[in-house]
Amino acid sequence: MPKIIVDGKEIECRDKIPVLQAVLEAGGDVPHYCYHPGLSIVASCRLCLMEMKMPNPKTKAMEWTPRLFPSCQTPVKDGLEVRFESDKVKDNQTHCMEYFLLNHPLDCPVCDQAGECYLQDYSLKFGESTSRMVEPKNKNPKKDIGSKTLLYADRCVMCSRCVRFCNEVAGTGELAIINRGSRAEIDVFPGVPLENKLQGNVVDICPVGCLLDKDFLMQQRVWFLKSADSVCAGCSAGCTITVDANEGKVWRLKPRYNPGVNDWWMCDEGRFGFKYVHDPRRLNRLTVRRGAELDYPDWSALPEIVTLRLESVVKKDGAGSVAVVLSPFMACEEAWMLASMVRCIAPQAALVCGPAPMVGEDEAFPKGGNGHPAKFMIRAEKCPNKRGIEMIIAGLGGPTLSFTDFLKQAGEKKIAAAWIVGGSPTEWVGDDLKKALGHIALVIAQDIFPSAVTDAATVIVPSCSWAERSGCFVNVDGKIQPFEAGINPIEGCQRDGNYLYAVFGGEGLYSAEKVRALMAKQMPAFGQLHVPPPVPEHAH
Amino acid sequence: MTAKPDWKQTDIIHVDQPELSMTERMYLPQIFGGMKTTLRHMFKKKLRDETVVQYPEQKRQLRKEIYRGVHRLNRDDQGRVACVACFMCETACPAHCIHIEGAESPWPDREKYPIKFDIDELRCIYCGMCEEACPVDAIELTPEYHLVGGSREEMIFDKEKLLNIFDRTKDEKPRKNPNITGY
Ligand code: SF4
Ligand code: SF4
Ligand code: SF4
Ligand code: FES
Repeated sequence: MPKIIVDGKEIECRDKIPVLQAVLEAGGDVPHYCYHPGLSIVASCRLCLMEMKMPNPKTKAMEWTPRLFPSCQTPVKDGLEVRFESDKVKDNQTHCMEYFLLNHPLDCPVCDQAGECYLQDYSLKFGESTSRMVEPKNKNPKKDIGSKTLLYADRCVMCSRCVRFCNEVAGTGELAIINRGSRAEIDVFPGVPLENKLQGNVVDICPVGCLLDKDFLMQQRVWFLKSADSVCAGCSAGCTITVDANEGKVWRLKPRYNPGVNDWWMCDEGRFGFKYVHDPRRLNRLTVRRGAELDYPDWSALPEIVTLRLESVVKKDGAGSVAVVLSPFMACEEAWMLASMVRCIAPQAALVCGPAPMVGEDEAFPKGGNGHPAKFMIRAEKCPNKRGIEMIIAGLGGPTLSFTDFLKQAGEKKIAAAWIVGGSPTEWVGDDLKKALGHIALVIAQDIFPSAVTDAATVIVPSCSWAERSGCFVNVDGKIQPFEAGINPIEGCQRDGNYLYAVFGGEGLYSAEKVRALMAKQMPAFGQLHVPPPVPEHAH
Repeated sequence: MTAKPDWKQTDIIHVDQPELSMTERMYLPQIFGGMKTTLRHMFKKKLRDETVVQYPEQKRQLRKEIYRGVHRLNRDDQGRVACVACFMCETACPAHCIHIEGAESPWPDREKYPIKFDIDELRCIYCGMCEEACPVDAIELTPEYHLVGGSREEMIFDKEKLLNIFDRTKDEKPRKNPNITGY
């Protein structure tokens, strides 16, 4: 590990990284716009410049060179000495900041980026409070550049991050810089709008409020949002995200850095796919069907209801006639508690992994990557936790059934009771399952939307969306990633973990860690979580 | 959200109520102290005339430009709501009584405007922080102080009501700085 000297202090850093990254990782704050660790380096914003010691060509003595160097483009080298705390560097920062604000409309009060904008932050820290600009400002009209993105060109700092993202990660290259100098603008080519599946990311990496999300436009001020570390439930890639919520409502999802999984990115399908969380059609009442009557018991009665009913089935038809269909939308903890609890009542109960929706094929980015390793993958398997459910089923051992065998056995009337978990945001009940349902006497349905399963069920347990739950998902590569709840369950619902914990007979209140500790005793794999490393405080 | 408390167990300090002395426990000295002030005001005509206002026949003299009564939402010179829905007032409000919903404005010269603007006048503490925070001087406190309502809902003033208060009070207290902000 090379050691470099920054402002007289020695720091140890990773090899082959730019000085800027090394300083950021050591906790320093160097202003930068164009540098992004996930993109190529262009050193165009000139905000990160530093002074560096080099040998004097005549005397060979190490001296501070007269010119400044971009710290984002200078790789670290053992013994390298640089400084940011000098008048020259500070002068450059103030003048750059003044330059960035020349044509900026200063419309922070109506700008969605305000509060997480690096023009605001850097102006405060490195800029001046006044501008010497007397000429009228360039006015660039607002542009509608894609189905999900708006461009407020007058707020742009020309860092070209968005252009590089479209070229290097999405591989679609829709964005370009047109014109030169102070008239330069980001734009799309005529008739070719920004339409790639990763376009939401350009909004994230834009350090200012130039690129904005149409979906989030003017919805909330960012300082009201509370973020919870979560994992996207859109596909099996398991992108780590934050769920940004306020007043019990999810407003947006943002990717969270996770090297080797989603890096800095996430796809639009996941990003905008949370709308079902607040769908008014969601189930929100614990329901028990008694003949034609519907009864709405209190949540506290649930453990007794399900145990009694399952026990009576076991007494009548034997322990082998019970099946649990675990959904790949469940967290591992929930699946484990449910399976263990049913196995307590019916030790021979069959565990079934529910159907995993598949849409198209895995999609790799950049598009046309010419055999280079993919920088981002969208998976065809549109559920977050199929691997986890398979791990739980294998770990618990005992009788298991594939979903097709479960349907076949149900058709042959071998299954008298089934606890079927859904949780999919889309219609998931196929015709074969609809047919099989008619042959099962006791169906306990746990789902978020009404479906054929809930129609056939004796006990309907409303489930929560992933944004309201906590636990862990196992992604397609077998990484076990924990996620937290972003909001409280909607009115009438309870967190799945909470009621399953009660049904399971756990002590005290549910917490995912507590259950994970119990699971780890049976399945040591769950003792080892994949938690991405923290991002340096001043990196963006 | 799994709450991460920002306090530690050690931050909690237990404070016991101080023990009351015999005289304090009787409360009588305090009661007589209060009575003394009341009686003094009752029997001195000069004091009475200076401090007692025969409301509602008589109104108090207010310093209109600084009095902090019920809010108003100002209109610009075209009669549109001047607010740009920046949420600064909602952010600054210590009583959390302002609720705004922003949207894209229908006017070409403006980016954003409030489609909803509610102030819970019962919750408000009339501190004037909102007025202080507003970058376009759109929200102001007026000299109006007779605030009555038959229900709690009635006391949640919406955008229309707040704009009406502006129409009512604009002559009494003209809008400040209209040309500085341009709105
Ligand atoms: S739109 Fe944003 S990301 Fe793109 S060049 Fe401008 S400031 Fe940079
Ligand atoms: S006067 Fe104070 S309490 Fe009332 S709305 Fe304004 S900021 Fe809130
Ligand atoms: S601070 Fe002013 S402009 Fe901003 S939302 Fe409040 S009233 Fe409107
Ligand atoms: S020049 Fe280094 S970050 Fe832009």
